[in-house]
Amino acid sequence: MTEQLFSAASEVDRAFLFILAFAVGALVLVTALMLYFSWRYHHTRNPEAVEIPGSLGLELLWTILPTAIVMAMFWFGWTSFKAMRTVPEGAMEVGVEARMWSWAFTYPGGRRSAELVVPVGGDVKLAMTSRDVIHSFYVPALRLKMDTVPGLTTTAWFNIAAPGEFDILCAEYCGLKHANMITTLRAVPEEDFRQWLAGADAASARAGELFSAYGCTACHDLGGGQGLGPPLDALGGRTGDVLLPDGGRRRITVDADYLRRAMLDPGAEIAEGYEAMMPSYQDQIPEADLEAMIRWMLTGDTAGPPPGRELAEAEGCMSCHSTDGSSIAGPSFRDLAGSVRRVRDQSGAVHEVVADDAYLGQSILDPGALVVEGETPIMPEYDYLDAEQVARLVEYIRSLGPGGGAQP
Amino acid sequence: MNDASAAPGSFWAARGLASWLFTTDHKRIGLLYLWCVLGFFIVGVVLGLLIRLELIAPGPTIMGAQTYNAMFTLHGVIMIFLVVIPSIPASFGNIILPLHLGAEDVAFPRLNMFSWWLYALGAATALAALFTGDGPPDTGWTFYVPFSAVTSTNVSVAVAAVFILGFSSILTGLNFIVTIHRLRAPGLTWTRLSLFAWALYATAWIQLLATPILGITGLLIIAERVLDMGVFDPARGGDPILYQHLFWIYSHPAVYIMVLPAMGVISDIIPVFARKAIFGYKTIAFSSLAIAFAGSLVWAHHMFVSGMSDTAVMVFSLLTFVVAIPSAVKVFNWVSTLYKGSIHMEPPLVFALGFIFLFTMGGITGLVLGAAGTDMHTHDTYFVVGHFHYVIFGGTGMGLFAAMHYWLPKVHGRMYNKRVATWAALILIVGMNGLYFPMYVMGLAGMPRRYYDYLPQYTAMHEASTVGSWVVAAGLALMFANLWRGLRSGPRVGPNPWGAATLEWTLPSPPPAHNFPAEPVVDRGPYDFRGVRADD
Repeated sequence: MTEQLFSAASEVDRAFLFILAFAVGALVLVTALMLYFSWRYHHTRNPEAVEIPGSLGLELLWTILPTAIVMAMFWFGWTSFKAMRTVPEGAMEVGVEARMWSWAFTYPGGRRSAELVVPVGGDVKLAMTSRDVIHSFYVPALRLKMDTVPGLTTTAWFNIAAPGEFDILCAEYCGLKHANMITTLRAVPEEDFRQWLAGADAASARAGELFSAYGCTACHDLGGGQGLGPPLDALGGRTGDVLLPDGGRRRITVDADYLRRAMLDPGAEIAEGYEAMMPSYQDQIPEADLEAMIRWMLTGDTAGPPPGRELAEAEGCMSCHSTDGSSIAGPSFRDLAGSVRRVRDQSGAVHEVVADDAYLGQSILDPGALVVEGETPIMPEYDYLDAEQVARLVEYIRSLGPGGGAQP
Repeated sequence: MNDASAAPGSFWAARGLASWLFTTDHKRIGLLYLWCVLGFFIVGVVLGLLIRLELIAPGPTIMGAQTYNAMFTLHGVIMIFLVVIPSIPASFGNIILPLHLGAEDVAFPRLNMFSWWLYALGAATALAALFTGDGPPDTGWTFYVPFSAVTSTNVSVAVAAVFILGFSSILTGLNFIVTIHRLRAPGLTWTRLSLFAWALYATAWIQLLATPILGITGLLIIAERVLDMGVFDPARGGDPILYQHLFWIYSHPAVYIMVLPAMGVISDIIPVFARKAIFGYKTIAFSSLAIAFAGSLVWAHHMFVSGMSDTAVMVFSLLTFVVAIPSAVKVFNWVSTLYKGSIHMEPPLVFALGFIFLFTMGGITGLVLGAAGTDMHTHDTYFVVGHFHYVIFGGTGMGLFAAMHYWLPKVHGRMYNKRVATWAALILIVGMNGLYFPMYVMGLAGMPRRYYDYLPQYTAMHEASTVGSWVVAAGLALMFANLWRGLRSGPRVGPNPWGAATLEWTLPSPPPAHNFPAEPVVDRGPYDFRGVRADD
């Protein structure tokens, strides 16, 4: 068994071992005596039975002694439960919302995530509820489970002593994809957690931090202005001439490979009009940051996957809508935008609609208004998303093809 | 069933379907229940085998997720309401109780017939739930709200079936209580009652008092779905945890309805095959009452992580450990009866010893589940599935099989092959451990229940469990085939093939329709074997 990383769960494990020891002992004793007596007093060995109507002493013994033992079992069970339930003061509170069939975690400051990222050694309190039916938040590695109930807030807490990743499962039957409602609890060092908490939605600010952290902004401007080196924004697709060390010159189109070469081996191709004075950043920038910076320079946009994709993951859309055309529990996002759909309105009448931006947006905010024929009306309302978030999701859906129909 | 070879003048004599369907003879009613129970048991077993076959590998194997969810719901509803709850009391309780009391029949024979008709009607309604509306329910047998309030499947019809079946149980309980109080033969004092009768008595009180709560809860579920009342569904202003309390106030005592009669069977069998009185008769009799009483106070141990208060958790955990003690004491008394006995290892005793082992295997994990801290981890995992199958199948199931091997020769007047019966028992014991022990292991490792799919690390345990299910199926097939053949065409038996001392063994096998030629006068206890011998 791997080391238990949550102190209260260690108490639970100890209670379990205590109970198991006595339980197995009782089973072995009863079974052994039963089998032994059956053999020793078989009628071929013991033709005359001896009448023994009872024994008050024995009855008292095996009533009182087991009572004392099970009361101890109750006690260890209860104290370990209390340890799991007693939230320390000052714990960071994370909201948990369970729904068919995904989890949404909301952090102080409003960041939402589909995974539960927490700092190592930090007390975390979960304030949990459900959007639809009863689910149950279960982390087997931490011996932690608590139902999430619509209309109620239930709580749980933990503190993880070392980095690691743990499965979060749903433990209350909730329908079709109850077995697939799995996400991850990720304990990371505190500094990494702080960065994670601050990042990703402020992607541009993050990119700015990277260029500043690695010293690029000492010579390059991020907003189109001139400096010792070329400006770095919106470079993707731009053409220009570069001079080679052997005196030759070449026409290049700026792409990811060129930018990578420019950062790791800047002397190999000098942009025309600039001095050859940029140092190499070989082995100085982690790959993830390198990719983020390259992406920013190409698109001038966020340093991450298409913006709507992260939001779609965080809100759990992907647990019901695939991106590859397959059907999970709702229409696939692939080739959805601009397609023609048969939908049923609330009176039961059937209409044909084009899945344009307006339709997609309404499907997110009020999915029950028009239900695609053949689908069950189980999609929850996402009416708490603001207009910008809805637009981002719609843009993401459009990016999955075939496009078109982007009417206002 | 026994056709022309049945002894003339036995209760089998009257012929024709109507003489069975409209009978008021407790022995025939008991047999009608037995055949229905065994028939639905086979249906439930097939569902279980299909479930295990689906789970032999992760991902879809032989069915989709919706079908799987309906299958485990049906497996639970059929096994609990159509099989295990009526199993022993409605079958052997009906056949044997009046005989143990020296009575002609139960107190209300026509009500008894009506109770069977309610069972048949409830069963038909449950079947209707399969084939009408939006298909069989997919909520699990516990019908938790809000899921059961919002699913479009046939919840209302299934709950109506449970409501009707509940009345069959209530009326049987009422009938037995009055019978035991009022129809004991002269000399048959309370302290001379068989322990099977004591067990039926305790069970009958639970049936009478607890089942109405389930009935009312079922009506509220239907009202919520059909009339859109907000009782349990929070979207309509209701309280989902209230549902859980109401459901479990019946369904926990229900498990004692399931196990107490089986314990009564064991208490009757062991003395006969050890040739001595039970050790601690009064303790065992009293423990049945204690279990019935204390077992009514522990229901919310199914709800430790439901969101109810910590105080409630503490109270229900404490009471749960209280109810463990009388069950343990029974086990100690049974084993003590073997001490210095003169043991005849006949099939009823083999099944009874199998019960003791398997019930203990299941009961001890009840201690883990009753302790609040450890329950938090094991609740809603395969640990629970293993626990209740050990105690219900390894317990009540084996108790039913023991009762069949003990009493069916009396009912049919013929004996089955005893060696084959013993082999079947051993195969079942091995198979049940193969099927259910891996569930303990994977439950502790975090495998939740009611999962159509699972993470790859649980594959080996699931494979082992599925293979175990095939061994159990083989054992059941062997057992039923042996009983079928033996009871129809095996060697005839006299009144007392086992040398037992309770009153049914003074009558011919099969007994006459009117039971006793003259009202017996009882002057000895049920386990007093002086001068009692098995037929040669």
